Amino acid sequence: MPQNEHIELHRKRHGYRLDHHERKRKKESREAHERSHKARKMIGLKAKLYHKQRHAEKIQMKKTIKMHEQRKTKQKDDDKTPEGAVPAYLLDREGQTRAKVLSNMIKQKRKEKAGKWEVPLPKVRAQGETEVLKVIRTGKRQKKAWKRMVTKVCFVGDGFTRKPPKYERFIRPMGLRFKKAHVTHPELKATFCLPILGVKKNPSSPLYTTLGVITKGTVIEVNVSELGLVTQGGKVIWGKYAQVTNNPENDGCINAVLLV
Amino acid sequence: MALYNFKKIMVVPTAKEFIDVTLSKTQRKTPTVIHKHYQIHRIRHFYMRKVKFTQQNYHDRLTQILTDFPKLDDIHPFYADLMNVLYDKDHYKLALGQINIARNLIDNVAKDYVRLMKYGDSMYRCKQLKRAALGRMCTILKRQKSSLEYLEQVRQHLSRLPSIDPNTRTLLLCGYPNVGKSSFINKVTRADVDVQPYAFTTKSLFVGHMDYRYLRWQVVDTPGILDHPLEERNTIEMQAITALAHLRAAVLYVMDPSEQCGHTLQEQLELFNNIRPLFANKPLIVVANKCDVKKISELPEENQKIFADLSAEEIPVIETSTLTEEGVIKVKTEACDRLLAQRVNTKIKGKKVHDVLNRLHLAMPAKRDEKERPPFIPEGALNRRKAMEVDTPKRKLERDLEMELGDDYVLDLQKYWDLMNEDEKHDKIPEVWEGHNVADYIDPDIMRKLEELEKEEELKERAGEYESDEESEDEEMQEIRSLAKQIREKKQLLVLESKEKDVHGPRMPRTATKVEKKKLEKEMSNLGLDMSDKNDSHYALQARRSRSLTRKRKREASAPPTSKTRSQSASRPPRDQSGLRDVKMVKKAKKMMKNSQRDMNRQARKGESDRHVFDLKPKHLLSGKRKSGTKDRR
Repeated sequence: MPQNEHIELHRKRHGYRLDHHERKRKKESREAHERSHKARKMIGLKAKLYHKQRHAEKIQMKKTIKMHEQRKTKQKDDDKTPEGAVPAYLLDREGQTRAKVLSNMIKQKRKEKAGKWEVPLPKVRAQGETEVLKVIRTGKRQKKAWKRMVTKVCFVGDGFTRKPPKYERFIRPMGLRFKKAHVTHPELKATFCLPILGVKKNPSSPLYTTLGVITKGTVIEVNVSELGLVTQGGKVIWGKYAQVTNNPENDGCINAVLLV
Repeated sequence: MALYNFKKIMVVPTAKEFIDVTLSKTQRKTPTVIHKHYQIHRIRHFYMRKVKFTQQNYHDRLTQILTDFPKLDDIHPFYADLMNVLYDKDHYKLALGQINIARNLIDNVAKDYVRLMKYGDSMYRCKQLKRAALGRMCTILKRQKSSLEYLEQVRQHLSRLPSIDPNTRTLLLCGYPNVGKSSFINKVTRADVDVQPYAFTTKSLFVGHMDYRYLRWQVVDTPGILDHPLEERNTIEMQAITALAHLRAAVLYVMDPSEQCGHTLQEQLELFNNIRPLFANKPLIVVANKCDVKKISELPEENQKIFADLSAEEIPVIETSTLTEEGVIKVKTEACDRLLAQRVNTKIKGKKVHDVLNRLHLAMPAKRDEKERPPFIPEGALNRRKAMEVDTPKRKLERDLEMELGDDYVLDLQKYWDLMNEDEKHDKIPEVWEGHNVADYIDPDIMRKLEELEKEEELKERAGEYESDEESEDEEMQEIRSLAKQIREKKQLLVLESKEKDVHGPRMPRTATKVEKKKLEKEMSNLGLDMSDKNDSHYALQARRSRSLTRKRKREASAPPTSKTRSQSASRPPRDQSGLRDVKMVKKAKKMMKNSQRDMNRQARKGESDRHVFDLKPKHLLSGKRKSGTKDRR
């Protein structure tokens, strides 16, 4: 025992107080009452946080209790039938239905190929011009109103240089320019921080696509060389499309889902 | 910076606690009310303030953690090594590095989001940005959970390390387990180290302090070391090795010739040779402990040769026994002297010595004549010094007496008193006499003063000061004196009599109750007064007078009181009937009074001059918000 563990040393030499164990037991048993008193009397924000935490705790407790209970009992599994064991009168029919489904699928795909991509967010709210572009007044008497400033997050390429300030119509502020996006691979369920290569399509307007404005639902192209994907032919894939799933101007970051 | 006190490190909070505290602080210390219709710069400023406040708090606390924990490069190498042994230097540095990174990341997050918030054009957008910023900062901290836990454990252990000063005079004990190092330190200092028969009872370094030659010395007890190479040593042994390596101390290598520790003398010698390199430049003493069990002279030849070899190499070998305490003081003095000599030598060889030497000057007085003047040392001092060296007890101490008598011992300090009369030593003296403290009147010269007083009194008596002159008084005065004396005596008797009476409660004064005439006459005649003239006396006149007053008068309905002089004092009509002729008038007057009072009552006024305005709904009771819990009362 180290030299300055005085409590433990005293306990070792002189033992515990005569009523120590009794008091300890009583104090521990009082804890439940004190906790419930606290939970009843707390008010305000503190109470909200506390109840939330307590609720989570209780859920965990219930789960463990249930787990323990399940182990004790035996349950009958009636629905378990071995796979592949289909009664004789269903054999041919199944094959048929499967064939039907396949051909239906092919028809549907032909329909869809005409217009749509298969994307995680097929429909997004369209953003109007007043929302995305803010009018900037210029001129000696601040009367001219032909300049616009983008209020949403945007992407400008690497070799981007501004037009001379007198002539630029659309201002994309540096604070709102992003280069990286947090891209989730839907099957791997892993998120990577990948550099953006460009904006492919903004669903609200082609103007936004050319400007590089990134809002919810925009399809962007990201540099996936970090993932190390390879084609069948052996070539390395280094660019893939991803669709933005959050509102970047509210969250300060671009979250996207990779389109596989 | 040779810091060796690590008790001032602030508590490192757990990740969850840290986050909770900071967020609640942000919620409490920044303004909370904001509305959509405020100007946009105001809304932006509001949310930016929250982000910056949170960032500031995190930054401050993390910085405090980083500065509190000692940098392994800044502290004394002994402590650096000890911390490496106990906590693993790499892990420690990594944990602190992670905290540093987290701090920088939090700063960057706050900066980015504050920059973004400048483009926020609605309250919703600013609020979402603030929420994202705080969330990211808290996530960064959540990832540091394990680092924070580790640092908290390090802090707790660090604050409990014994405070060993690496620069002061130290004695270091080392040797195999169970040889008697802890018993030695228990004997020499006041440290209460556990001594048990199993090996590795001492698991960490222990420090004790002792005095020698008016200086403070540290004695450091180490856990036992076993004999294997350095790489295979465990944490406990490594602490001992660290202490050996870094502390400039006198080393006491403790051996056990009786081999009760479970290792042969050969093994102990092996270990000694193996760790010999660590003893370089340190005064070394070999302590042969447990000599009450086996003395060196009783050992077989080869073993004795070992000790002979050691002493041949100029390493003093001293036999001790911590049980019987022989040789312990000898070891202590020998080790301390050697260490002191070495320290003084090093100091002399150093550069700083000249600062001190330049200020010291030993003055030798020059001889002025041929007379010899040797230094004078009184006899008593010489005797005492001799006695100290011989080391014999001079007189029997009370403690020894107590040990002898055991349970029969009684502490009797009165036997040491120095009195004129030796028999009076054990007399009981009262503490209080007649209400006075005896101690207040104790005076060493009291006998002498008493004699002087008595002489004075004798003189005075002889001079005739106390003779009273009785002839100057005439007979009248003497009669008066005797009468007065009688009166006094009678009074005292009466007082005693009345005290004997058992009266409960307050007593009526004598003048309140009526005194009967007969009793009065009897008492007065007892006293000797002449009571013959009874009718003319004062009390008879008084009696006659009062009789006429106490007879009740019949009140006639309409007859006014006839004679005012007599009846004024005894029978005045009450005020609501004075000035009124008959009962009818009295009733009418009463009615009029009630009529006028009714208006006043209705207005809740006492009278015409009552202009008090009551405050029936006081503002302090009825205004203000009612917080929860007070809805059923105000």
